Amino acid sequence: MSANDLALAVTVTVMVAGAAGTVLTSDVPRLVISLGTFLLGVAAAFLVMGSPLLAVSQVFVYVGGVLVLVLFALMMVRRSGDEKPKVATRHDLGAAVIALGVFVLLAAVLGPVAADPTPVVTAPNEVGAILLGPSLVAFELVGVLLLAALLAVLVIVKGGEDS
Amino acid sequence: MIVAIGCAAAFSLGVYAVLTRRDVIAILAGAELMLGAANVQLVAFALSRGGDGAVVSSFALIVLVIAAAEAAVGMALVVTAYRRTRRTLVDEFGEVSG
Repeated sequence: MSANDLALAVTVTVMVAGAAGTVLTSDVPRLVISLGTFLLGVAAAFLVMGSPLLAVSQVFVYVGGVLVLVLFALMMVRRSGDEKPKVATRHDLGAAVIALGVFVLLAAVLGPVAADPTPVVTAPNEVGAILLGPSLVAFELVGVLLLAALLAVLVIVKGGEDS
Repeated sequence: MIVAIGCAAAFSLGVYAVLTRRDVIAILAGAELMLGAANVQLVAFALSRGGDGAVVSSFALIVLVIAAAEAAVGMALVVTAYRRTRRTLVDEFGEVSG
């Protein structure tokens, strides 16, 4: 096993451990920490696969943005009288069977054809050249989508205040 | 193979979270698990098939931005729904509007 395969195995293990913690814990702080572990594992996987720009974006957008958003939302919707906030869960055999079926299906379809990637180190300026060149339309559309999402959030929150 | 199995496991755990969690924010966390696992699998699969690293990265970056926008709108909906109804459990929401 090469050093790259070992690094990939470690990052994927961190991802799965974080995902398992997010799913199984009923403790709110542990859920946030587990989600953060998963997101950092994803960033590390991007780094090992040779894409430092994606890794940094993942840390900035998810660990620095979405995770803080989740934390704020949890703090806002928890009543101060709650002694120890718990995440309500209804563990169910049917859901476990469905999730297991999804895992078996994905592993059976992707496992044989998806060999582990050989890292291709991509400099950020190469990604920029693609985004502002052949993918310019997609790049601009994402900008419009972000603006629409920003306006939607403002409208949704304002609507909640009015009622 | 390791990445494919790991991403499949993380995605399945996300599916399980979406199906079993009753708290809306925890359901959104499950959706984030699925999006993250799918994005890693996308990059790994493209690179293993000889894809151009720059094109793959730009594609994954766009997916990442769209997922972040989805999370922001989702959180706004959760906070607004809580302010209107004082509830965060999905089975307590009995109607779509009103």
